[in-house]
Amino acid sequence: MSDRFDNRDASGAARDAAWLGGWLAGVALRPAVRIARAGGRAAESVTLGTVDLVLESRVAGEVVDRIADSALVQRGVGRALSGPLVEQIGRDLVRYAVLERVAETVLEGDLIDRTATRVLDGPELERVVDHALDSPAMERLVRRVIESKLLDEAVARLLESEELWLLVDEIARSPAVTEAITQQSLGFADQVAGGVRSRSRNVDDWLERKARRALRRAPAPGSDAQ
Amino acid sequence: MSLAAEPPGGRRISPARAQAVAERVHGPPAAPPVEYEGLVTRTIAFAVDAAIVNLVAALVSVTVGLAASLFDFPDTIKTIVIAIGGVAYLAWTVGYFVVFWSTTGQTPGSRLIRLRVCDADTGRQIRPGRALVRLVVLMISVIPLFAGLWPILVDDRRRGLHDMVAGTVVVGAEPAESGAPAGKPGQAPY
Repeated sequence: MSDRFDNRDASGAARDAAWLGGWLAGVALRPAVRIARAGGRAAESVTLGTVDLVLESRVAGEVVDRIADSALVQRGVGRALSGPLVEQIGRDLVRYAVLERVAETVLEGDLIDRTATRVLDGPELERVVDHALDSPAMERLVRRVIESKLLDEAVARLLESEELWLLVDEIARSPAVTEAITQQSLGFADQVAGGVRSRSRNVDDWLERKARRALRRAPAPGSDAQ
Repeated sequence: MSLAAEPPGGRRISPARAQAVAERVHGPPAAPPVEYEGLVTRTIAFAVDAAIVNLVAALVSVTVGLAASLFDFPDTIKTIVIAIGGVAYLAWTVGYFVVFWSTTGQTPGSRLIRLRVCDADTGRQIRPGRALVRLVVLMISVIPLFAGLWPILVDDRRRGLHDMVAGTVVVGAEPAESGAPAGKPGQAPY
C-alpha cells in the first residue's frame, strides 16, 4: 500500500511540474507574441498603404494603359475570344444557371417595382410624352398611319370580324344604352308635345278673344288681349 | 354661409321663424296662379285619347273578327257577338276616361299635352262618380252641334257644360322639375 501511495505522488508532481513549465513559457513568450502581432498589423498597414500609393500613382495608370494598349493583350484577348473559352464560359453559364439566378434575384427584389414607380411618378416620363406628342415627327407619323393602307386593312378586318358585331350587339342591348335611347325618344316626344301645346294655347287665347268680342263680353281676367 | 335668415340686428333666426314672421306681416303666401286650358288644347288631348281608344278597339275587333271568320256562326250568334262588342266598346271607352280622370286626373292624351282634370274648388282628383257624370254630360252635350263646349270660350275658368255639372276644371300640369308655376298672373286658383 505504501508503494502505491508513492507512485501517485510521483505522477502528480510531474503533472504539476509540466503545468508550471507551460505557464512559465507562456509568460516568457507573451511579449514576443505581442511584438509579432504588432509587427503583423504594421506590415498589413504598410502593404495597403503601398497598394493605395501604387494605385493612385500616375505611373500605375500609365502602366495599365500601356498594357491594355499593347499588342500582347490584344492578341491574348483575340485569342481568348476566338478560342473555345467563350463556348466554355457559355456552357458554364448554362450549367450553373447563372442567368436564371441573376434574373430570379432581380425579380424577387423590389428593384423593378422601385424603378417602375420612379419612372411613372417622376416628371421625366411626362416630359418625354409631352415632347413626343408636341413634336412634328409625331404628327407626321400619325398622318402617315392614317393615310397608310395598314389602317384601312385593319378597319376592314375589324368590320369583318364576328366578335365586333357581337360586341356591338352586347352594347346595344345594355340597359344604359336602351335607357338613353328611351330618354332621347321621350325627350323628343315631349319637345313635340310642348310645341303643340304652346301653339294650341295661343289659338285658345285668340279664339277666346274673338268669341268674347262677338258676344260683347269683357276680356278674360289675366288675358293679354288688347 | 348659413341658410338661416340674418336680420339687420345681427340675431339669427330660423327659416321657419322667418316664414312665420313674413306671413304675419304680409299675409299667407299667394297660391300659384292656375292656367285653365282652352278649347283647342283640350280638343287635341281628347283627339289623342280618342285615337288610343279606337286603335285598341280596332285591334281587338280585327283579331276577334279574323278568329270568328274561321267558323260559320248562325246570324243570331253574330248579332249577339256584335251587340256584346258594342257594349264592350262602350265599357272600354267609359272605363278609360273614368279611371284616368279619377286616379291621376290625366288621360294619356292629357299627360302628353300636360293638362289635368281636377275639382273646381279644391284642385284635387275627382271621384269616379263625378268622372262618370262628367263623361255622360260630355257625350250628351256634344250632340247638339257641340253646344256644351261653347261655354269654354267665354267662361272665366274655361269650363264646358260637363265641367259645370261635374264641378271640375281643366288646368295645366307642368312637370314638377320645371319649378315654374303654370298659369297667368292674376288668375284665381281653382
